[in-house]
Amino acid sequence: MVNLTIDNRQVTAPRNATIYEAAKINGIHIPILCHDNKLKPFGACRMCLVEVEQMKGRQIPACTTPVTEGMIVTTSTPDIIKARKLVLELLLLNHPLDCPVCDKGGDCDLQNLSYDYKISSNRFHDQKFQHKIDYNNPLIERDMNRCILCGKCVRICDEIVSFGALTFIGRGIETKIGCEFDEALNCEFCGSCVSVCPVGALLARPFKFKARFWAMEKKRSICGYCGTGCNLTLGVKEGKVLTTVYDENQGFHRGQLCVRGRFGYQFINNEKRLKKPLIRKNGALVECGWDEALQLAASKIRNGSETAAIATPRLTNEEFFLFRKLMKGIGSENFDHAAGYAHKALTSGFARSLGSAASTAMVNDIQKSDMLLVIKTDSYETHPVIGFEINIAVKDKGVKLNIVSDKNGKLGKLPGARTFVHLPGSETLLINALCSSVIKQKLVSSTAASLPDFKEYAKGIEAFSPEKAASLCGISPEEINSLAADFASSKKAMILFPTGVAYPGHDSELATALANLAILAGKVEGEGCGLLCLPEKNNSQGAVDTGFYPTGKGLDALSVFDAIEDGRIKTLFLAGENPVVSYPDEARIKRALEKLDFLVLTTLFPTETAEYADLVLPASSYAEKEGTFTSAGGHVQYFAPVIPKAGDSRTDFEIISSLIKLTGGEAASNPSEIFAEIASTLDGYAGMTYENLGENGAFTAVKTRPALILPQTQAPALRKPEEFSLVTGALLYHNGTLSQFGEGPMHVSPESYAEISRKDASRLGIKENDTITLTSDSGSMQLAARVSLRIPEGVVFIPNHFSANPVNAIWSGKPVTPVALSR
Amino acid sequence: MNPFTPIIKGLKITLDHLFKKPVTRQYPTERPKVSPRFRGLHALNMSHDKAKCVACYLCPTVCPAKCITVEAAEDANHDKYAAVYEIDMIRCIFCGYCVEACPVDAIRMTGEFELANYRREDFIYTKERLLEKK
Ligand code: SF4
Ligand code: SF4
Ligand code: SF4
Ligand code: SF4
Ligand code: SF4
Ligand code: FES
Repeated sequence: MVNLTIDNRQVTAPRNATIYEAAKINGIHIPILCHDNKLKPFGACRMCLVEVEQMKGRQIPACTTPVTEGMIVTTSTPDIIKARKLVLELLLLNHPLDCPVCDKGGDCDLQNLSYDYKISSNRFHDQKFQHKIDYNNPLIERDMNRCILCGKCVRICDEIVSFGALTFIGRGIETKIGCEFDEALNCEFCGSCVSVCPVGALLARPFKFKARFWAMEKKRSICGYCGTGCNLTLGVKEGKVLTTVYDENQGFHRGQLCVRGRFGYQFINNEKRLKKPLIRKNGALVECGWDEALQLAASKIRNGSETAAIATPRLTNEEFFLFRKLMKGIGSENFDHAAGYAHKALTSGFARSLGSAASTAMVNDIQKSDMLLVIKTDSYETHPVIGFEINIAVKDKGVKLNIVSDKNGKLGKLPGARTFVHLPGSETLLINALCSSVIKQKLVSSTAASLPDFKEYAKGIEAFSPEKAASLCGISPEEINSLAADFASSKKAMILFPTGVAYPGHDSELATALANLAILAGKVEGEGCGLLCLPEKNNSQGAVDTGFYPTGKGLDALSVFDAIEDGRIKTLFLAGENPVVSYPDEARIKRALEKLDFLVLTTLFPTETAEYADLVLPASSYAEKEGTFTSAGGHVQYFAPVIPKAGDSRTDFEIISSLIKLTGGEAASNPSEIFAEIASTLDGYAGMTYENLGENGAFTAVKTRPALILPQTQAPALRKPEEFSLVTGALLYHNGTLSQFGEGPMHVSPESYAEISRKDASRLGIKENDTITLTSDSGSMQLAARVSLRIPEGVVFIPNHFSANPVNAIWSGKPVTPVALSR
Repeated sequence: MNPFTPIIKGLKITLDHLFKKPVTRQYPTERPKVSPRFRGLHALNMSHDKAKCVACYLCPTVCPAKCITVEAAEDANHDKYAAVYEIDMIRCIFCGYCVEACPVDAIRMTGEFELANYRREDFIYTKERLLEKK
């Protein structure tokens, strides 16, 4: 700590603080325009000028000057005020001053400062800027006439998003912020630049002119898309969510969001939301009352042994807990979520290898680590804000990044990052080879060597020596050895991997293989170490923690569909899931759903699956309910409703609670009671209450008991030369199928496509957007081709989010599906 | 006091008035001349055949009776205009704050004060009605 004097007050500040930060910590306000606490100091605007006695009273920028012992700072003197006024007058010289039509009005730093410093006239005169406004993309409007050249957008896009879409172009008075060759903006559309722009130069178009900043209530919530668990502030007016509002103090990510979180909120108030229960009468779904609907549902599910339930991992912890009670109450063990396999990495892999179905690392370990081993570059697409953490770790903290993936991707472009592109489906094999290499290179940690099962494991893993594995996974033994050495000899190292319905290869075997690697290298626990599973949906981890998956003789989600076909299951309760689109093998799912006696579905939207339902119950979105979500790394966060429920919809909690009562059970009627029950029954949640979760949430306690287990590893089937290996995965703009109802994501990524390598494309004479036909054992489909440099030869990538032309027509749930491809 | 004095005083005043010019205005045959600063019914100002209002939301914000409804929209040139502009005259207290707040001189108050009507709906002055008052 350093002692200094600011405005005659004795204060202390950390050694590496700037004057601005020191003042802020001590509650002294210094005006800023170009500074942001997430970004490196820049010093462009000179709004933060202060006087420092030791510097002969010169005016210096507070945001770039570090504090020193004994410094005497004055933040406001007549001279400083004069200087700041001059800064503002010069900024306003070419500024259009169209506050009445500028969406930033009321939330504009320039407007506020002009008001504070009483700038009502200007001593200078010049023309206003005449830049063309960029309306070329549907999400971000760029009006460079209002830009004050603070450079925040340029810096955030570079430093945190690592996209680098924006830069300063031109010189002197001609300077402006532009994209490559001064063309239209075409980027990730994360909106980070919009969030930090102090003026109305960058604006969110979906929110344009919808409401004034001051007219909205700002309400905290948790993003309902992926498992990162980003905090959100929603701008609410008249019971509608109109936008997301940037709050730089929110969450580990300090207000950063991805395109889905920032621009995908529209599904909440989407007109297609179901408002009334629908019941099938004479073949058609017609509206009915809740009483009738619930009575019917209760009577159908009563026979537990013939009933199964599958839930979306988007329910709250309380809902899962209650749902489990309902199923147990009616005597059914057949309940599951996430297609039954997307959670296996945790529920089976981690559970047997680490002793509990939870990650041993947390998101905030990423920046404290020395080396990150990321499985699949897709981790950036599946969990973009964790991707930002990786960007910062690598670029700012010097953390090494190694990626093993079946394709190249954005993460691999980070400085010093190495991507090991393996053959599709060989990830477990490759990780085994890394383990074997760690043992061969004698880098095994002493704790691992003393594990009882070490000897047996070491013997078994010999079959996967780098030499043997090399040809099967397509990575040379030297590379495997160097990666293994790199990982094991780093002081701190961490493993990250996504799971999800689109990643069937990321199963229990891969999780076990990865756990083995961490155990061998002694990186299971500790700061900057451990395994971090990135689960697909906002509450995937919670679904696992609350035990909403079958144990014992219960059927898992995909077995349920088998059981329907052979008549063992007659009633299916789907909560929020849309298996017709998202589960493997569309034909099989449809066949089973048709065979069902009774299908009850709770859903926000009339989905493809609703067409098979006998009873459709309108559910409420996360913005309309209360509960907790547990995100990647076991972060439990509480959220309250921000708007009233849509139409007559009810929360899944209310629906399940009513069903418990109707089937003769007893149920708590509010989520906080259930949460208390969760806290008292689940070890990881012990001691948590809504009150003490507060705004920051809490982390589940994880007890580890490492064990070395040889994973069952299959060499990927070698494809025939004329065939392609189909891999599915996630897109940056989408999460599950829900984001299709958010306008923002659909603006920039409206439809599915098949991505192939440039070499294959030129060999087959396929050009961008050509329609290509893909045929597998289970079906055939046509998609627009996308030709890219990141996909290796012989591989075709298709995203799994889209209801129109869903990939499950040809994808039957194998990590790699051989497909024939023709024009 | 003489009990008749007050009565006589009163009658004197009555007598005085008998010979004075009457102050009663024969409304509606006789119409008042309102001052230019009179705060009557609102009107939206026009410029180039279009409402000047840019839907800045300042008047609904400042209005103490919360009787102004503005809904902004984007036109073909990406400009902001008021797709909805309504004043609920039942609630308006004729304070004139809206006129004062308007940054583009889009709204004024006219001398019109005959605002009685038969149905509640008729007190809602839509953009079209406010524009008619040239
Ligand atoms: S950027 Fe700020 S000062 Fe400039 S027009 Fe918009 S609100 Fe007004
Ligand atoms: S939206 Fe994101 S990626 Fe695009 S320019 Fe802004 S910060 Fe960069
Ligand atoms: S566009 Fe906004 S954030 Fe970027 S330099 Fe201009 S004022 Fe700053
Ligand atoms: S989708 Fe995931 S990464 Fe994006 S804002 Fe939501 S929680 Fe964060
Ligand atoms: S203050 Fe003027 S410009 Fe703004 S909404 Fe009211 S009338 Fe329109
Ligand atoms: S805030 Fe310090 S120079 Fe801009």
